[in-house]
Amino acid sequence: MFKYILKRILIFIPTLLVISVMVFLLNMYAPGDPVYSIAGIDPNSSKPLSPGAYNAIKKELGLDLPTFYFTMSSKAYPDTLHRIPKKEHQATLSRLINSYGNWDEIRAYHKSVEKMEVAVLDIPRDSLNPKALIKIKEKVRDLYREYKDDKIQKNFEITDKFITSTPSTMVMKDLIDETKANYAAMVNNPTKWKTKVPTFNWYGYKNQYHTWFSKFIRFDFGKSYQSKRPISEEIGERIFWTMLISFISIILTYVIAIPLGVFSARKKDTTADSVVTTILFILYSLPSFWIATLLIVFLCQPEYLNWFPPYGIGDPPSDAGFFETFRIRSYHLILPLFCWTYGSLAFLSRQMRGGMLSVLRQDYVRTARAKGVEERKVIWKHSIRNSLLPVITLFGNIFPLMISGSIVIEILFSLPGMGQYLYQAIVAQNFPVVSTIVMMAALLTMIGYLVVDILYAVVDPRITFD
Amino acid sequence: MFGKKKKSVQNKEEKQSYWSYVARQFKKNKRALYSLYVVMFLAVIALLADFIANEKPIVCKYEGKVYMPVFKQYAVSLGLAKWPTAFKNGDWKDKQYDFVVWPPVPYLPNNLDYKSRWVGPFDKQDVKSKIWRHWLGSDDLGRDVLSGMIHGTRIAFMVGIIAMGIACIIGIFLGACAGYFGDTGLELSRGGLMLNIIGILLGFFYGFYSRSYIMSDAFGVSFGKAIGAFFIGILIFLGILIIVNLISALLNKFIPFLAKRVAFPVDIAITRLIEVINSIPLLVLILAIVAIAKPSIFLVMAVIGTVRWTGIARFIRAELLRVRRLEYIEAANALGFSQMRTMFKHAIPNSLSPVFIAVAFGIASAILIESFLSFLGLGVPAETITWGKMLAISRTNPSAWWFAIFPGLAIFITVTLFNLIGEGLTDALDPRLKQ
Repeated sequence: MFKYILKRILIFIPTLLVISVMVFLLNMYAPGDPVYSIAGIDPNSSKPLSPGAYNAIKKELGLDLPTFYFTMSSKAYPDTLHRIPKKEHQATLSRLINSYGNWDEIRAYHKSVEKMEVAVLDIPRDSLNPKALIKIKEKVRDLYREYKDDKIQKNFEITDKFITSTPSTMVMKDLIDETKANYAAMVNNPTKWKTKVPTFNWYGYKNQYHTWFSKFIRFDFGKSYQSKRPISEEIGERIFWTMLISFISIILTYVIAIPLGVFSARKKDTTADSVVTTILFILYSLPSFWIATLLIVFLCQPEYLNWFPPYGIGDPPSDAGFFETFRIRSYHLILPLFCWTYGSLAFLSRQMRGGMLSVLRQDYVRTARAKGVEERKVIWKHSIRNSLLPVITLFGNIFPLMISGSIVIEILFSLPGMGQYLYQAIVAQNFPVVSTIVMMAALLTMIGYLVVDILYAVVDPRITFD
Repeated sequence: MFGKKKKSVQNKEEKQSYWSYVARQFKKNKRALYSLYVVMFLAVIALLADFIANEKPIVCKYEGKVYMPVFKQYAVSLGLAKWPTAFKNGDWKDKQYDFVVWPPVPYLPNNLDYKSRWVGPFDKQDVKSKIWRHWLGSDDLGRDVLSGMIHGTRIAFMVGIIAMGIACIIGIFLGACAGYFGDTGLELSRGGLMLNIIGILLGFFYGFYSRSYIMSDAFGVSFGKAIGAFFIGILIFLGILIIVNLISALLNKFIPFLAKRVAFPVDIAITRLIEVINSIPLLVLILAIVAIAKPSIFLVMAVIGTVRWTGIARFIRAELLRVRRLEYIEAANALGFSQMRTMFKHAIPNSLSPVFIAVAFGIASAILIESFLSFLGLGVPAETITWGKMLAISRTNPSAWWFAIFPGLAIFITVTLFNLIGEGLTDALDPRLKQ
């Protein structure tokens, strides 16, 4: 059994690593530029970040590193593309590489666009009419984004149209010509074959994934885009409520479900059984977000019955005693608890009933009855243990169910827990928070499964690992 | 098994196949049977939604000519026909028809009716005649609830069926490979193993990596194009794998070292993959994926499908672990059939029954997940009306009780029906009950 547990724990690690890679990928494909998000600046605003500030934040976030230990790409891609500062520029360059394959020319073109961006700021205001200046600025910035030939040509046409030959705009005009020449060189000497030759790059452990994951296991989850506070701090404030409600809910579930399942199994094929089974089945199928909505609409609104508060956890005055606080809190938590519990309660009771029924069919139960053991003893002493076995395993399934349930209920009742935090992060596109919570949910679920498997091996010695 | 026994006992039931036995068992369960009938009825509503709730008349005579606008709509959207100029402008219901047959609900879910905002089912309504009544009420812009419910049925069924279709394809294939080959069943030559690893990398490179922009551009155009581009990627991938295996077969003839056969642990690989996916709570995973992608109902279906296959795979794996030891598989092997043929033609068809249970429950949960996502306003584009979205309206206006009741009831009933069918199938297929 020791060997089994050891094996089970050893398997935990690669699974966790694979999940972390998946979550990291999700994070990578998230839209937007994290540097702008953490700085709280809209990249399209009139005052974008200065290159220095941009690079400083980028370095702090570790985004100047390569993404993974290794990459597979085509020969056309330089292994230094990740050093190009802006995510947006990287995307455009990557497109250009894909269509032309000649990195040196592309780089030259990109550099001349960069020069244009600086030069455009140096044009004296009075040398051009303001409209033309704005137009040129806009088009130069567009060049960073465009990768299609016709669009770039159009950009050039417009800049040509608006730039006038005065001494103060000579520099700019030369730069435009240089850019055009570089662009022509890039388009006319494509090495597209390079994009069809695969290459394999090895970067070592100094990469974004490695940094992210090693920080994650030290509980350093980075900063939230919204509040700019460490995510671990925010989670610390919220995890208590989720844990508390889940804990009460799990206890309620087991305390009610097991006797109910046993009762229903003992009275099989009676009216009582069919009533209980039907109710349980309906409860099991009732979507909790519908029930929560119904309860909020009909029990918490002045239009109908105004019995319960519709949201929050209550706000007991600071001088309130324990009982007063308890009263206010529980008044707020009754409905959420009900919605959180009834689904898993129904699920577990049905499983318990099924487990009990199959045990009651066993020979040893018939033997016990035949030799005159009291019915109460048959059930609670001989049968319950064996029928509890599957219920133990369900503990592992209840864990992810609880996490999903917490999302539904916390959003609907505005409880300040992890589920609501996840939802707010998704709506606000706050990806560090999203990936942290996904990782934590996965980790908790895996630990749940691990504990259940070990428990099971302890309870039932027949289990072996295969 | 039981089929053989019955044959010898009763000649009358000679044609009794396994499936007719299952059907008979299923019919004994009245609840499940009636659920199946109701589901069929709902499926008909979903199919004919355009004829039941539409802003256009089914048949009308306008300026001396007879039209069938609902049918014509299909032709127009396929590019086969064009609207006559008379119908291009103006509201359908304001026209003076010589003769007209309206659908039972003469509204589309998006049709605005400013005269009746927030009217309840029992309120007095300012409408021309009874057929224009909003039987189940309307929302802030006068959009009809009943019409939304009918078109929502279509979306719910589409989500359930497409998502579980995707899940079935992935689940059956991977589950069958895991169960049939186990850890020792799939033997490759050393050279083949090495070349296959290289082939997978190359196939990924040429099939997907170097075509990634083509695919993402296609996704921007339409979902159908994206599927097409993805499919070409898969073809390239498979093509490269076939070439690689041909090369390895050739090499094996000349280099004996490479020809030595080693087993590839398919089962371990696939069960680990299942464990990885099961370790992330379903809803959390789906929410995270939906958060980074552009809203699209097809994306929601695809995501649910690619996440929900593990249950099916586990069922079929367990079944095939049993089936592969049966005599007829050994016979097929002895006859020299290829492993793939034995697996797909003989082993899988005989182990599909538990999949039906998983599919029935899976459809229920897919519908539930989609409703919840659209309830939160995530993943489903703004113009698509779904049950979940209508239910969410009740949160902004609690006094419109009809939004709290009807869409939620629809979700509940549909989910319950599929669960009941799943239960009925479980009972019908459960070998324990045969004793």
